[in-house]
Amino acid sequence: MPETTPPAAGSSQGTPGTPAPRKAGTAREATLNFALDGVGAGGVPLAESRALALAAYERLALPAWRRSGFWTTTLEQLDIESLEQLTHAERDADAPAFLGGQDAAGILVQRDSSVAHVQLNGELAQRGVILCSLEEAAQNHPQLFERYYLRRLQIDRHKIEAASAAFWSGGAFLYVPPGLELDDPFQIVYEISRGGTAQYAHTLAIVDRGSSIRLREYGLAGDTEGDTLHAGAFELYLEDAARCRLAQVTDWGGGRVHDVSTSVVEVARDAYCHWLPALLGGALIHHHDEIAVAGQGGDMAFRGLFFAQRDEHLDVFAVDLHETGPSGGDVHWRGAASGESRASFEGLIKINQGAQQSHTYLQFHSMLLSADAELDAIPSVLVGADDVSASHGGTVGELDEDLIFYMQTRGLTRPQAVRVIVEGFFEPLIVQLDDPQLEQLVRDRIGAKLAGAADEIERYALAR
Amino acid sequence: MAELQIRNLHVRTEDREILRGVDLTVRTGELHALLGPNGSGKSTLANTIMGHPSYEVTEGEILLDGQALNELAPHERARLGLFLAFQYPVAVPGVSVANFLRMAINAQRDEPIKVKEFGSQLDHAVRLLDVDRSFTSRHLNDGFSGGEKKRAEILQMAMLKPQIAVLDETDSGLDIDALRTVAEGVAKLHAEQGVGALIITHYQRILDYVKPQFVHILMDGRIVMRGGPELVARLEREGYDPIREEVAANA
Repeated sequence: MPETTPPAAGSSQGTPGTPAPRKAGTAREATLNFALDGVGAGGVPLAESRALALAAYERLALPAWRRSGFWTTTLEQLDIESLEQLTHAERDADAPAFLGGQDAAGILVQRDSSVAHVQLNGELAQRGVILCSLEEAAQNHPQLFERYYLRRLQIDRHKIEAASAAFWSGGAFLYVPPGLELDDPFQIVYEISRGGTAQYAHTLAIVDRGSSIRLREYGLAGDTEGDTLHAGAFELYLEDAARCRLAQVTDWGGGRVHDVSTSVVEVARDAYCHWLPALLGGALIHHHDEIAVAGQGGDMAFRGLFFAQRDEHLDVFAVDLHETGPSGGDVHWRGAASGESRASFEGLIKINQGAQQSHTYLQFHSMLLSADAELDAIPSVLVGADDVSASHGGTVGELDEDLIFYMQTRGLTRPQAVRVIVEGFFEPLIVQLDDPQLEQLVRDRIGAKLAGAADEIERYALAR
Repeated sequence: MAELQIRNLHVRTEDREILRGVDLTVRTGELHALLGPNGSGKSTLANTIMGHPSYEVTEGEILLDGQALNELAPHERARLGLFLAFQYPVAVPGVSVANFLRMAINAQRDEPIKVKEFGSQLDHAVRLLDVDRSFTSRHLNDGFSGGEKKRAEILQMAMLKPQIAVLDETDSGLDIDALRTVAEGVAKLHAEQGVGALIITHYQRILDYVKPQFVHILMDGRIVMRGGPELVARLEREGYDPIREEVAANA
């Protein structure tokens, strides 16, 4: 018997073609699934993959994402064709100063559209570690390249993603052979030196069976002029029992940088990833960050933090995907918003059919630092197995006057107290970077944002 | 030698007048106890001395060494040498006890304190309060038991070395061992640093360990009786009701 529903008041009854009422949530589920399922273009030579991506680029319009009932993330105004891909012929002799001369397994720097510096510990090179531009990897290591390139990244969910796959240049490639345990980090840096440009970035990293590494990716710019695009693609494959501590730190400065990036991490059997993106600035950020536990016994900790200020617009879609069980997940993000910024965190737990004994938890904590800022949290859970646990939680925070008073009675000024509160808010995640120098870099950048926003935070605190 | 003077203090919150003319003077080296039933205005007085924004002074003055504090922000009062040990200390997530102490000490100095000097002061203070040094690497008041919170308050007092400290019901919610440790800590600080203290209490138990020279009884927003230690003994025996009747008869 066909399902019938009473006509809604005011609707035109009996009109032919009235769509059947949908089950609540169906549209939402379809949207989420679309966000996950695009078409890949891996497993083929690079030229072929670029051609597919170019066709998608020409077919697709610039994207707009509806993130909540209140606002959308749109790139429809971006004149993408006018942006220059700036190249540099010269390479740098030295690593960037901000890395502070810290011991590194390897360093790769891309400035604008060119790789500007590569260094790899000589002993590691002898043991089979590869660190080079992705262009060189496609040429010199075609088997590895084709086995992994775009294995989990798609090319046609939106125009920027297609552009990235079609137009990337330079790029970073890291391969760590089986059985290596490395303490010193690999550092990959993307810098934008001038506005009005497009940087199509692509990092491909593979940690083979049983190896263990630390990997850092930085996205940095100073205060640039004019609309600028960073279209990033990042893929990390952890083979069986591999381990990685991955940190991604982005701060695109005070210019009009649009950062539309997709990162995926695949965790194979008994592998483990600790992943922490820190999004610390950019006019418009749209990040799709996805971690897929693809092998039995795979486990991960997915941390993240962001701080949106001024009129910045930040939109994070974080995906905790379990393709098989038993598997574990632990997602914990924290975000703050000041000024007139807009920030949205959408967190999705997806447990595929048959991924029994997957256990995961997603939490998001937010702190609002201005009456004119908006901060939304949208958790979703899609579960296709019955012997699993998947839940989410979170808190919405504002400045606590009692806490400010408490610190004032110890001699701290109001701005000092606010700084302690906000730093304390992020601290549980920052310490997990597990590297004093990197931790200090993140703390300093958060401190600088707070100093810049001190007046508006004070007004907000007093207005309540 | 510092002198905290409270003159004819009237304080209201949004809905009502709580203090209705309080006079009180506490000098460095003196131990005062302020006793009173629930709702008499004890915590209001403590918070007002430190400048809590929710309490409005409608009349009267708070002076430290003759300088009026009424218009000063809480951190300025702290820097002049006042300290409040809270009845309900607030958690400071993400900040260790040691880091918070260092920030608070540095807030009161021009030059940051030297690592070694800070370390030896902290060692001394943790011994005084009978806590493990590892206690100072925990996040301040975050997940602390009632006793740990009160120890952390006195630990801060020991490190900040105020001229005058107000202890707001530091004895509430403590078991007997924690109470003894905290109270003995206060007594030692008094002996060592000569701090002047206004000990606010409802239960008087803390006064078994810290012997006040001056005792004040607060009722309905006024100090209705003053005396020495004998007043504590009388309260112990009789409770507040006979005092209330006596005050009413004399009014």
